[in-house]
Amino acid sequence: MKAPALEVARLVAARDLRLAFRKPSQLLQPLMFFMIVATLFPLTLTPEMSRLRDAAPGVLWVGALLSSLLALEFLFRDDAQDGTLEQFALSGQSLTWMLFAKTCVHWLLTGLPLALSAPIAAVGLGVPAGAMWSVVASLALGGFALSLIGAISAGLTLGARRGGVLLSLLTLPLAVPILIYGADATHRAIVGMEIAPPMYLLGAITVLGVTLAPLAAAAAVRIGLE
Amino acid sequence: MSEFFSMSGYGIYLWPAFALGIGVVVLNLVMALSSLSTARKDARRRLEINP
Amino acid sequence: MATWTWFHRLASPPHVYGFARRWTPWIGGAAAVCMVVALYGGLVLAPEDYQQKDAFRMVYVHAPAAWLSLMIYTTMAVAAAVGLIWRMKVAHAAAAACAPVGAWFTVAALGTGMLWGKPMWGAYWVWDPRLTAELVLLFLYLGYMGLRAGIEDPNKADKASAMLAVVGVINVPIIKYSVEWWNSLHQTPTVMKMGKPSMDTAMLWPLLLMFVAFALYFAAVLLIRLRAELLRRERNASWVREVVT
Repeated sequence: MKAPALEVARLVAARDLRLAFRKPSQLLQPLMFFMIVATLFPLTLTPEMSRLRDAAPGVLWVGALLSSLLALEFLFRDDAQDGTLEQFALSGQSLTWMLFAKTCVHWLLTGLPLALSAPIAAVGLGVPAGAMWSVVASLALGGFALSLIGAISAGLTLGARRGGVLLSLLTLPLAVPILIYGADATHRAIVGMEIAPPMYLLGAITVLGVTLAPLAAAAAVRIGLE
Repeated sequence: MSEFFSMSGYGIYLWPAFALGIGVVVLNLVMALSSLSTARKDARRRLEINP
Repeated sequence: MATWTWFHRLASPPHVYGFARRWTPWIGGAAAVCMVVALYGGLVLAPEDYQQKDAFRMVYVHAPAAWLSLMIYTTMAVAAAVGLIWRMKVAHAAAAACAPVGAWFTVAALGTGMLWGKPMWGAYWVWDPRLTAELVLLFLYLGYMGLRAGIEDPNKADKASAMLAVVGVINVPIIKYSVEWWNSLHQTPTVMKMGKPSMDTAMLWPLLLMFVAFALYFAAVLLIRLRAELLRRERNASWVREVVT
């Protein structure tokens, strides 16, 4: 009996959230990684704020991307290992919606906290206070798009040996547009320009991702589980 | 003739570029033929072992 | 219906193998002839460019290589899609055969682009949108080959990499557009255009012929690689016995 997709999605999301909060320390790891990476750039480049400000969009977005890639490993791994993913696929309910729910929870637990705490890193990179809201908004939106794309590569590498690095290698080229528009939005915010153009494009990519990525991820997972 | 090789001074870039292009063309042809020949040999060997 | 028999034959490995064996020499020969004629036309016959002098002649190797790298990726993605939708082994074999060739031509496009860039812009590498997009394309190819290599089960490897190819091909225009956007943000004093001089006919026909030559060449190489793939995949089939003895 096929339950309404939204109901199934809600149940999967609730389950994932509950499981995640059993190990709250794991939730902090991507955040800590991001902060450390953001610290490494000034250490390796220069302490001069004016020069760091120029590099800030790049540092923030590459840091966010790397943390996101690390966190992607956890999207499906545990469920694939204990057979839950297989149960999802066999359940007769919409795998697409279930994976979409998992992706959303993944973003809520990694991408969104990262975006919200980015101002801490941004201050250290010379980003002016007036730009902070835009920094958070662009990272939040871009982070969601990254989670969506990452779900596809996570699904594809389920059956691969040493899938971790491969997952990153597969996601990176696909993430290029997100990075370009996101970093542009951050840059514009820092110099005081209107951030709407790149944000609209980032939004368009996200919408495309929302419609297509869960389908592709579900197909990928089915291939991996065969 | 030396004009042809110098290519108005750009020869040191132009000829390596063409060498690279032709090189990739030849390399891929050679690799393709070699992979075919290996596949044929393998198939023949398997048939000898397992008629 | 005639169309369906044609399609069904396309799915039959022995039939495709035979077709490949018969046609490869002709296609390869035509490619060689076109290449020689085009090279003569481009290197000898075509007049030098007003601005770039003889340096523009690098277009005859750079542009076809770049175009081919993109065309091969598209072919790979189409073959992959056909393999997924109609579950044709031959299609998956064709996609696998495309990848290394495409990756090499991406390398050739990048290398020739760098050699063209040095005299024109003074530096071996510039973040020109075309070159940057080619670089990302190379990463897409390497990712595809890496995924294939990383999955042990050949069936799963076929399907997973096919999905990746399809997702990748949808992304290629998005990536190109975003790279162009990015490039336009940072206006450099000299306009960095990958020297497409306004070409008159004497310059243009060798270029078009070169495209044709490269396309024919790729078809020939693909057919050769496809034969090797089919032999490897179908090792226990009876038609293989007849073909190799």
